[in-house]
Amino acid sequence: MNCDEALDHLYEFLDRELTPEVEREVRKHLHACAPCAQETDFEETFLKFVQARCRAHGAPPELKRRIVRELFGE
Amino acid sequence: MATPAPPADARRAGFEHEALVHLDALHRVALRLTGNAADADDLVQETMLKAYRAWDSYQQGTNAKAWLLTILRHAFINEYRRRTRRPETVDVETIEPFAVFPDVQQEDPQGAFFDRIVDEQVLRAIDALPEAFRETLVLSDVEGLNYQDIGRILDVPVGTVKSRLFRARRLLQAGLYEYAVEMGYIKRKAG
Repeated sequence: MNCDEALDHLYEFLDRELTPEVEREVRKHLHACAPCAQETDFEETFLKFVQARCRAHGAPPELKRRIVRELFGE
Repeated sequence: MATPAPPADARRAGFEHEALVHLDALHRVALRLTGNAADADDLVQETMLKAYRAWDSYQQGTNAKAWLLTILRHAFINEYRRRTRRPETVDVETIEPFAVFPDVQQEDPQGAFFDRIVDEQVLRAIDALPEAFRETLVLSDVEGLNYQDIGRILDVPVGTVKSRLFRARRLLQAGLYEYAVEMGYIKRKAG
């Protein structure tokens, strides 16, 4: 697998959406190619950052009370 | 020996255990779809009421979160989209994504500048994405659903999920990079 092919699969690799065979090929390439490994790390950092920033807030407690009241009449 | 719970209690317990636990997730997605707190609250409440009515058709042990999000998205399209956001006028599939990594490779290859961006700015940047990208990105990158479940919820093929996700991530990255440059968190690459 060359750089273009590995980078084509970058997001699917990080999302764990590749077949085991292709995933192995990507992993092998990343092991041998520092620039592609660096780019993969950058994208992984970005995805973790987005998730962390967006999951900080939950539903307001009042909404939950309202829904429970509507559903179960209490 | 304990007596089995009456059917009504069992139904309620099952719903609480498998559906109500996803309230935070539904609320996060609703906020990003409607763009305001009051509509998001109403949309989530309506989703939960619809889900409870349809609870007997939910197959126990399958992905309850994906099932709930499907109900939420239908409710949004049918009742909220028209009045909360204008329908898209750009053809999202023609948007050319811009890669940030080559620009920051020298100065900040680990993307440390992201850490300096506050939550609100990230949410604003997500809200600025075209709706088709925004919903795909939120289901994947915030809620952690796989491509197949996202395809089912949005009623598009997995290939479309993939290409939208690629463009959505690149667009979001570019938007946050521009912001980081403006704020002086990182210097734009010369040339």
